[in-house]
Amino acid sequence: MEEVDRILIHSLRQTGTDIDDDVQSIKQFSSELIVEAVVRCLRVIDPTLGNGLSPSLPPGMSARFRVGMSLAQACQDLGYKGESGYQTFLYSNEPEIRSLLMFLVEKLPRESAEALDQPAGKSALLQKAIAAQIKTQLALPWLPPSCRLSLHCKTQSSGPCHSFHAMQLSLPYSLKAPTKKQAKGRCNFVKEYWREYLLPVTSQPSHHASVPASLLENHASELSAAQEWESEWNSQGLLSRLTPEEYCSRKRARLQKRIEEQLRAATQPRPDTHSTTRSTSDLTDLLNSFGGTTTGVDILAKGTRFTHSEKFTFTQEPEKAAQQMAAAASILPSSHQSEEDLKAKQEVEISALQEQLQQLSVQMEEVGGDIRQLTVSIHQVSDELKRRELSNSEKEDTVRVKKQTINLLPDAENNLVKLQSLVEASAKRVVYLASQWEKHRAPLIDEHRRLKELCSNREMESSRKLCEIKDLHDKIRQSAEEAKKKESLYKQLIAEYDTLPKDVSRSAYTMRILEIISNIKKQKEEITKILSDTKELQKEINGLTGKLDRTFAVTDELVFKDAKKDESVRKSYKYLAALHENCTQLIQTIEDTGTIMREIRDLEEQIETEHGKKTVSNLEKILEDYKAIRQENSALAAKIREGQV
Amino acid sequence: EWDMAESETQLMLSVGLIEKDVNADTLWVWCYPSVSAELRDVLLRKCCLTLDSLVLHTFVFGQYYRTWYYISTVDVQEPTVLKKVTHFSVVITAKDFNPEKYAAFSRVLCRMYVKHGNPVKIMEGYIAVLTKGICQSDENGSFLIRDYDVRKAYLAGSIKDVVSQFGMETIILYTALMLKKRIVIYHPRVEALLEFTRALPALAWHRKDWSILHPYVHLEDRELESLRSCTGYVAGFVDPEVTNRSDLFDVFVNLPDSEITISQHAKEAMAMGKLHKEIGHFIVQSAEDTDRADVQVIKDISVKTKEILNNLVSLAEEGQDAKLTLEMLKQRHFPPATENFLFRLAAAEQLLKI
Repeated sequence: MEEVDRILIHSLRQTGTDIDDDVQSIKQFSSELIVEAVVRCLRVIDPTLGNGLSPSLPPGMSARFRVGMSLAQACQDLGYKGESGYQTFLYSNEPEIRSLLMFLVEKLPRESAEALDQPAGKSALLQKAIAAQIKTQLALPWLPPSCRLSLHCKTQSSGPCHSFHAMQLSLPYSLKAPTKKQAKGRCNFVKEYWREYLLPVTSQPSHHASVPASLLENHASELSAAQEWESEWNSQGLLSRLTPEEYCSRKRARLQKRIEEQLRAATQPRPDTHSTTRSTSDLTDLLNSFGGTTTGVDILAKGTRFTHSEKFTFTQEPEKAAQQMAAAASILPSSHQSEEDLKAKQEVEISALQEQLQQLSVQMEEVGGDIRQLTVSIHQVSDELKRRELSNSEKEDTVRVKKQTINLLPDAENNLVKLQSLVEASAKRVVYLASQWEKHRAPLIDEHRRLKELCSNREMESSRKLCEIKDLHDKIRQSAEEAKKKESLYKQLIAEYDTLPKDVSRSAYTMRILEIISNIKKQKEEITKILSDTKELQKEINGLTGKLDRTFAVTDELVFKDAKKDESVRKSYKYLAALHENCTQLIQTIEDTGTIMREIRDLEEQIETEHGKKTVSNLEKILEDYKAIRQENSALAAKIREGQV
Repeated sequence: EWDMAESETQLMLSVGLIEKDVNADTLWVWCYPSVSAELRDVLLRKCCLTLDSLVLHTFVFGQYYRTWYYISTVDVQEPTVLKKVTHFSVVITAKDFNPEKYAAFSRVLCRMYVKHGNPVKIMEGYIAVLTKGICQSDENGSFLIRDYDVRKAYLAGSIKDVVSQFGMETIILYTALMLKKRIVIYHPRVEALLEFTRALPALAWHRKDWSILHPYVHLEDRELESLRSCTGYVAGFVDPEVTNRSDLFDVFVNLPDSEITISQHAKEAMAMGKLHKEIGHFIVQSAEDTDRADVQVIKDISVKTKEILNNLVSLAEEGQDAKLTLEMLKQRHFPPATENFLFRLAAAEQLLKI
């Protein structure tokens, strides 16, 4: 109960109720305090309801009575389900007051209405701040320039606007050192420059207004360069299996070579007729040939100046041509001769030309025939040549062999034998040499094959490792992103936590709640256990009673049967009946005792609650107030009578 | 007994070994006495082991700058002494054309190598054949050079098959061969190519010149150079690209489609007339006769050719130095196609006056 009271008191203090520090529980609340607390709660919950009521109890009894009634009414309006009337406030008892105050405190509006349901990152916060600023600025009405106050000048005139003009900035440590040697070499000079002479970034641009633009530009270019390098390295760099420096240097060399080639090709003298137009389109072509189609499109779009000049030079051409035509026409002789002469002339010309044609065709045929003959004879001759060359070389070989044979001929027999043995010996030696060679060759070939296998295995290994590296890179990237997100989230939550009020210890509450929950669980277990025990007992009792009845019935019959004949049996029968009677009475008495014990317990509980209600003191108070009201009534009546008179 | 097989022993030039191993590498592992680097490249290309899709050609042969090469390829089966070798080829280069002889010999050498796994054995066999003309084979008897006569090699091709595939169009092949033109034959399968092309030079039996035969050529610069060094040739290609190379042929034979085309620039030279029709009929008749064997068909054709040549020679003898001129031919008033043909034939047979 203490925690509940503490929480209630704390919440009531937050609504503005002035509660003394030594008031620790609801029991200690006086009527005035109760009224004040309720009124302040009502004011917070629903200002319309609460503003009509005053937090302090008026001295007069009837006024108090009225206040009590209105408060009760207000609570009913809010939806309080329990009984409430003037007596709850004026003649309070603890449990009622506690439940009412709990109801009111629950009704209090929650503070964090605009709860950040989504933890926003830093950038989102910044954007929200920007949005809020712009909203407020937009909310201000626009005023014409003459009416503007100075604080509006900033936001409503166009003066402060600047065009986005970025300038190159020079930052220390932003240049990559190509090699270590070079880095050492220029280490001192450059560092000195950075230390002594390099202006800070904010004073580098010529206009102060271009500082933010330049900074943004610089940062954007560095960021994009870094991202491009990342993506390129991850896709192509890793595959090339070079270190980053090697990869960079190779790429640079490749690009340089390409530029050289293009420039060299472009500077070759071109055999062109229109030199004037060529010079203008040269550049576009040159530039086009460098890059892909994208650069070409851009350059073409920009090249309107070139096309303009082209147009001008072309328009000159038709004029020139017209002039030339006119000149040629004037050269032609003006024919005043008659038509017949013309015809005759033409016919003569035609026949001459035809004769020429015939002659030429005849010539061509002759020449064709000659060519054919000559080709055929060429074939024959070249064929003959080849054949003769072949036969020559063959004959040379035969001559050589025959010469040697002739030398050996005088001593034919011996020489033959010698030759035989020589051949055999050479054959043997050659075979021996071959086996020697084989001894060397076989291991070499095996080695070659083994190394090839190793090589291919290594290739597979390295490509597998490359895959793994790629995967790792991806994982690294992902984990880095996650870590960043979590860091920002953590920072943000820490900030939130810091801003939260520390007076109420949430952990204590949560601990207590958890304790209570465990206690309840334990109690529930105990209750279930007791219930099951009770059920067991009841079952046993039922079973035993049944058994008893059955046993008695059987015994009764048995004994009664014999009782007719035997006297002693009759006596024992009587004793049996009496025994049964007495035992039944005993059992009954025990049951009654149990019931009465339960009633006693219930009554004792009721007494306790009634005591808590402090009914006696309340009754005394009521009597007193009744007396006071009667007095007031009589006083008022007297006043009225006096007034009438 | 010392059996020196005449001058034939000088015909073999070298023997070599190509192996394909488990790393899918094809290497020249051994040769004797030596093979030039250029020839080694060519032979690697011809050996089917360099192709990615392994289609095993047991035996291929061809010509490169007047050197005949014969390649037998074997697929190594377990159990074997050859570790890490999946296939190998034995290559024999020689000056003469005799596929049967060298096929048998290389098979013997292959078996030796499979059994012993040692090239020295190959060398022993090679030297034995070189010096004695005989090689002891472990399995079935021995290999004797003298069993393989060159005439048999020339006659082993089947002219009847050629005629049955092309019928009257065989006369185009006959004309082209007689006039020493360039014939290119295409077939995707090298075995079919070899079988068909080796029969063609038999149509010009009086020359017995198989050096015009290049049965297996790739479209590669040096091989084409070797081809161009002959005035007329019969060349076989497996590469379908050769259809576009009209600079390489006067007559193109598409074997799977059984089509013969005469290229534009040779149409005039290959004009055919009544004489050709006659010869064509004769060839077809002779080949279709089931009683006559290949040998006899070739003989018949050569008899006919001899007739024509004799006529030409008799014509030539009337002129100066027993040489023919175009005017002498024109005096005979042959029909123009026949005149053209005889004129060119005279040139091919060295009968023309320069």
